[in-house]
Amino acid sequence: MMEHEIYRFPRERLDALIERLGREYRVVAPVIKGVQHAWEEVRPGTPVALEYPTTLLPPRQFFAPQREVLYRYRKGDDGKVTFETPPTERPVALLGVHGCDLTGLRVLRSFHESSCGDRMVTDRLDQSFILGIACWVPCMAEAFCRDMGSLENEIPADLYAWDFGEVLLLKVLKARGREILADAAPLEAATADEMALLRRRMRVRHEAFPTHLRFPPSKLPVALEAAESDILWDANADRCLSCGRCNLVCPTCTCFDVHDTGSLDGSQGERVRSWHGCQIPGFSRVAGGHDFRPTRTQQLRYRIFRKGKYMPERYGMVGCTGCGRCIKHCPTHISIRDIFRQVGGTA
Amino acid sequence: MMPSRMIPEACRVLEAVPVTGKEMHFVLEAPQQEPFRPEPGQFVMVSLPGIGEAPISIAAIPGEGTPEGTFELLIRRAGRLTNLVTRLKAGEYLYVRGPYGRRVGWESFKGTNLVLIAGGLGLAPLRPFIRRALIRRQDFRRIDIAVGARSPDELLFRDDIASWSARHDDVHVGVTVDAASNGWGGRIGVITTLFDDMRTDTEDAYAFICGPPVMYRHAIRKLLAMGFYENHVWLTLERRMKCGIGICGNCQMNGLYLCQQGPLFSYREVRHLKEAV
Repeated sequence: MMEHEIYRFPRERLDALIERLGREYRVVAPVIKGVQHAWEEVRPGTPVALEYPTTLLPPRQFFAPQREVLYRYRKGDDGKVTFETPPTERPVALLGVHGCDLTGLRVLRSFHESSCGDRMVTDRLDQSFILGIACWVPCMAEAFCRDMGSLENEIPADLYAWDFGEVLLLKVLKARGREILADAAPLEAATADEMALLRRRMRVRHEAFPTHLRFPPSKLPVALEAAESDILWDANADRCLSCGRCNLVCPTCTCFDVHDTGSLDGSQGERVRSWHGCQIPGFSRVAGGHDFRPTRTQQLRYRIFRKGKYMPERYGMVGCTGCGRCIKHCPTHISIRDIFRQVGGTA
Repeated sequence: MMPSRMIPEACRVLEAVPVTGKEMHFVLEAPQQEPFRPEPGQFVMVSLPGIGEAPISIAAIPGEGTPEGTFELLIRRAGRLTNLVTRLKAGEYLYVRGPYGRRVGWESFKGTNLVLIAGGLGLAPLRPFIRRALIRRQDFRRIDIAVGARSPDELLFRDDIASWSARHDDVHVGVTVDAASNGWGGRIGVITTLFDDMRTDTEDAYAFICGPPVMYRHAIRKLLAMGFYENHVWLTLERRMKCGIGICGNCQMNGLYLCQQGPLFSYREVRHLKEAV
């Protein structure tokens, strides 16, 4: 950590940073919205919450949007349809991304890089600017980022912040980060006292994060393989309402549905992809009505296996970041953390 | 940003022939933006803009029983998209991208006996295998083809079956139906009853199976009992698909993406997977 450049950044310069980023990027940050925080577009003056409980939706919404036009079509006079790609949008700058969500973006990249070469998502990641932020305490009771190894993660941030109130200490992780920072405030190295404080706080930080699992995430594929039997899954699956919230709030879910919308005369329209999820009924149903994963037991096991086994085996990264969203938002309190803990017992 | 790889190409319908009450047989102009060189077992994503898109197995490969620059699909009416697709006439356009799916090296099957087992619509994906095997007949020893249908009316590719049957000196064709009314002179029974006639050296044979989901377990069990090796029994599986390029997740079966690692698998590759067959 210490070989990196670390600069002191007065909090009052945050608006200058937002202004600088706004010249090139669509700047989004956590903003309080009703009873919770959400990622919203911000401008200088917008109250940005750098200390916040994890947002309902993860930042993947800016890279693989909830609803995205794949292309527009138009029927010509000869009956032949032509296709047109939607115009490129402004790249996004994210301010204040927690370690869990930074990890989610890494998983998103590893998933899309090792697939077919569709670059819509990775291009957006490449063009984005990300300011990560260190968490001093668990942002909510459901979080288990420390267990999943994402508490410490700083990749793929351009800049990474430690919040000390009036002053933020900012670590430069990419040249682009330094460039933007220098435009927003004079580069001023952190003082010896500040660095000592940072080291002290970082040494004791983990004490604020209780551990929930007795094994490292790298053991998950083996632990899950030993826990394939239905009995382990039935009790949880019996409670599942198949609402799909766990899928929609997950930072590493990638599945989508495709549907068309068109004008009434059929002459033009769009083909759209939108988030889908393996817990939503019909996800694995084929033409003719056969469902290859019809029971909630099979569906729940599939979701947990995908996060804990299939993703690490295929993409080299565990698909659960420990952000706690799916636990917090499950209407019947199904907990991936508890399930991991249970299967860990058999490892 | 790179445009989506999911943009299809307009392919002109050259022929549209009704097969049974439910299926249409299409001969189409092949996509031209990139060389269209599918292998047996691959599929295309077929769509009508404004309606939707679905994966369809390729039923004939350019230059292998259908002219170069063309390919064939057999499409059954099963939903909104296929209801409209099966109304297309010659001269109209179908929107296609692909081919997608695993390309299985044909070389490894050379010099062996082949057994091709098709139930119902499963004959469409197996047809390119059969056609290629018959074009390169000298590459193989004994060839058995088993075709099953629910009823005589639902038997697909009747001309093909007749021409394969006509080569009775070098191809063994069996046809059976689950049920028939008067006038059917052929066999009645499930498809596995045809296996009893296969006088093939199962130690040195490859079997390819494609049919309705219920067929697989029975067919596999019987083939293994006959002495087939697990890695010599190949299955063409089906799943819901929305992209064909490994990102929509709909076709994932345990850790495998059917659209990329399949839909053709050897039984050994999937036998340990709870979700396979």
